[in-house]
Amino acid sequence: MMTEFILMNGYGLYVWMSFSIVFISCAVVYFKTKKTLKKYESEFFAELQALSLEDRNKTLKTSKVAQQILATNSKIN
Amino acid sequence: MFKFFSPSNIYSIIQKIIKFINSIFFLILIIGLTFALILSPPDYIQGDSVRIMYVHVPSAWIGLACFSVITILSILNFIFKIKNFYFINKSLAPIGLLFTCLAIVTGSLWGQPTWGTWWAWDARLTSMLVLMIFYILYILVFKIIKDEYLIVKISSIVAIVGSINLPIIKYSVEWWSTLHQPASIKITGPNTIHPSMLLPLMIMLLVFLLYAALIFLMKYKTEIIRIKKKNIKR
Repeated sequence: MMTEFILMNGYGLYVWMSFSIVFISCAVVYFKTKKTLKKYESEFFAELQALSLEDRNKTLKTSKVAQQILATNSKIN
Repeated sequence: MFKFFSPSNIYSIIQKIIKFINSIFFLILIIGLTFALILSPPDYIQGDSVRIMYVHVPSAWIGLACFSVITILSILNFIFKIKNFYFINKSLAPIGLLFTCLAIVTGSLWGQPTWGTWWAWDARLTSMLVLMIFYILYILVFKIIKDEYLIVKISSIVAIVGSINLPIIKYSVEWWSTLHQPASIKITGPNTIHPSMLLPLMIMLLVFLLYAALIFLMKYKTEIIRIKKKNIKR
């Protein structure tokens, strides 16, 4: 039964190759996108930390994005 | 209304949506794969090769949908100069390219056992290849050109010119005699696909849409950070 499922009446190679290509490509794109996002988040966090206290507070007051990145990265670190 | 959709307002919502998609994605994927590979019946002519449809059709639909959205937003951006649309388009284009490529590759893998050939220069296949070329051109505009004003202008032209190809893809199977079968699912008119195949197809479409949304949100979030990073020292 398992062999039948894998062979799919002779079409197994085409079916499994199609599904594999789709899922491998999607996984590669997912991990690449995630890696880029993390890289930008940590770079932004590092730049925020490098600011003087006054500038940092000013940025945090005006930028919701900076507030969230700071909150997320502070939790991680 | 456009202010509500500003990157800063959207940013906080994005994380919640990403978490939600992550929490349901694998469950729907397993259900979709179970239906597509085990529960759905083989076709009476094509046999088990019809299962390729469950990855091929959603890929093609998303590839087309992404370019349609890009075209609409490009026109709106051209008229109203809404910068947010520029970032949405930039985030959408790679997803569209990915799914268009997958539609072509899986179509080729379906074509070999069904038609006896990997590729034919028929209207549907060629128009999909043209769509892929337009996606590549569109992405290249963002990579090569540095001036933002020029990027908006040229990318919009590429999108608008490329959109001429969209109805050609849709109606190619009706206008010309092609190897590709006519549409089995119609918005207006009866479907010619059995419900036992339609259900897995819809579940797999949902899986692909969730994945596309996830990648789009991550890319869009990256774009927002990129802008904020630029402005941090100002």
